[in-house]
Amino acid sequence: MLSTRDLVAGYDERTVLDGLDLDLPTDAFTVIVGPNACGKSTLLRTMARLLTPRRGTVLLDGTAIRELPTREVARRLGVLPQSPLVPEGVTVADLVGRGRQPYQRWWRQWSSEDGAAVDQAMALADVTDLADRPVDSLSGGQRQRVWIAMTLAQDTDALLLDEPTTFLDLAHQVEVLDLLHRLRSERGRTVVAVLHDLNQAARYADHLVAMRAGAVVAAGPPREILTADLVRDVFGLACVVVPCPVTGAPLVVPAYTGGNAPAPAVAGDHSSSTASVPDVRPSTGDAANPLAGSHPSKGL
Amino acid sequence: MTTTRRSSGPGSAGSAGLSTVAAAGSSGADGARLPGRSLLRIGPVSLLIRRRAVLVAAVLTVLLLLAVVLSLSLGTPYVAPADVLRALSGAGTPYDLVVFDLRLPRVVLAAVAGAAFGVAGTLIQSVARNPLASPDVIGITQGAGLAATVALTSGMAAVLVAPTALVGGLLAAVLLFALGARHGLAAQRFVLAGVAVAFGFRALTEVVMLTADPIDGLRAQIWLIGTLAGKGWTEAAWIAGTLLVLLPVLAWAGWALNSSALDDDTARGVGLRPVARRIGLAGTGVLVAAMVTAQVGAVDFVALVAPQVARRLVRAERPPLVCAALLGALLLVLADLAGRRLFAPTQLPAGVLTAAIGGPYLIFLLQRGRRRSS
Repeated sequence: MLSTRDLVAGYDERTVLDGLDLDLPTDAFTVIVGPNACGKSTLLRTMARLLTPRRGTVLLDGTAIRELPTREVARRLGVLPQSPLVPEGVTVADLVGRGRQPYQRWWRQWSSEDGAAVDQAMALADVTDLADRPVDSLSGGQRQRVWIAMTLAQDTDALLLDEPTTFLDLAHQVEVLDLLHRLRSERGRTVVAVLHDLNQAARYADHLVAMRAGAVVAAGPPREILTADLVRDVFGLACVVVPCPVTGAPLVVPAYTGGNAPAPAVAGDHSSSTASVPDVRPSTGDAANPLAGSHPSKGL
Repeated sequence: MTTTRRSSGPGSAGSAGLSTVAAAGSSGADGARLPGRSLLRIGPVSLLIRRRAVLVAAVLTVLLLLAVVLSLSLGTPYVAPADVLRALSGAGTPYDLVVFDLRLPRVVLAAVAGAAFGVAGTLIQSVARNPLASPDVIGITQGAGLAATVALTSGMAAVLVAPTALVGGLLAAVLLFALGARHGLAAQRFVLAGVAVAFGFRALTEVVMLTADPIDGLRAQIWLIGTLAGKGWTEAAWIAGTLLVLLPVLAWAGWALNSSALDDDTARGVGLRPVARRIGLAGTGVLVAAMVTAQVGAVDFVALVAPQVARRLVRAERPPLVCAALLGALLLVLADLAGRRLFAPTQLPAGVLTAAIGGPYLIFLLQRGRRRSS
């Protein structure tokens, strides 16, 4: 349903995406991952027509998105930007109601469908109890659910979310991801999210897109594509990938990186419970690893 | 959670005519679940109305009518309110000359101009995302002021002063849009461009003023402060005509203001075109501001205060257009009355008084708001 063809996009002088071709599966939860500044947000914003590409096309059900009226796009494609500005003093119900904008005109400001959609969206995102509260008085987790409710009120087949879990604590991250999962499994929505946490991506995604430097390195089901080699390629991080004890999905554990990081509890001894885990600790000389320079624990 | 309740705004300018139709037209439709709102249905048209805004508008209308009667009554000679009402009802009294020919034009002008300033301020503040923005912050006043100063000091015919000032205000608006358009008229850029335009025009005005004949300079000074003295029907008709022509745009603006607090990405996500919307809102506000400033001068403190006071009265997250207009009208009628009477027979320009009345009230509201939020 959503695809890009030869997409070139960027900001001012900088080209972020250079000729990207991508097809996102319908009725799936797609997660886009990649290191900072790899272009994942740019890709999401361009697909959501928030950013105009310099060249190439975004196709929504086979039609170039920029040839569709923006109101019509808004009825088929919801988008939650990275850190939306919280309007001062607006109540939750009010903000969720803004999601009905694509169905309204100044002379037709509200209909019974609007009311039903807002009610349903608030119930789905579990914010019904907050309806009369001002959004700026809520906690980060509640706010994020309200924003998601606003995009749900748009009643679209597809939903794009740019880092919906950033700035949330772990419990709230899981809450938001569970909600997105429900939307996909129970409502049949197509969900596309940019996430930072690889393990959450692996746990929740039906389809994983790994990006580096504006290009797609791998795309497919996490269990098939998420390997230690991929993580090394994409993030420049040496790691161990083991099955998650809860879901069986791939679980990425950063490898021991030498003196800069806390030492493993059983350094050098893998004979006990971790026998199945291959030893991927790099030698202390990082020269062997061309990407080691970008390791996050370096230079700290 | 509220179910649909029919709004019944007795006597408010914006809804009096509509609500009677609504009582007949709306038949138990559920829908408006937004807190504090009621749905008003007239055939295919459905409008969301804040119930509190209807109440505030009704109260403001009553106060405005009282202020008008008071303003027609006070002065030399004094006309008892009862006689004012008799004269207004066309009964034919000895006071007809005073009420109709001397006082009414000026009171009507005050009300119309105040309403226009309220509307202009609301629109400009929403685009600037700043409660302190007003026509004089973004240079419209100074553009009109420069043109008026040139007209007054170059011996131009008196009837040409207002049209010249209008051209000046619109010129400033064009400059403002040209400077502010590069990043889609984003709030900060809009304000910065406006401040630049304002300073430029003010500097030029001072140059003209200093090189002019002192008497002409004084006349220009009074024009700049803003006064209703010696003005009446003609000025009121120009302003009212502008508002009337813009009425469909204003109806749209009242709706578009609801989403003006959304950031651009979020707004695009829900199918809005934020840049086009800002240009529409700012263009309308600037047009109204240029017209009203050209007619009555820089009484634009009303434009600063009326939207914010109205917003707090309605307890909304953004200034309500109709209430801001009514409050602006009330404020300017009272300011003009005070200017006429406080130091009679000396008349103070209304521009001085709007600041004197509106300022303390805004401070009072800010104090109260702070106490409540802490």
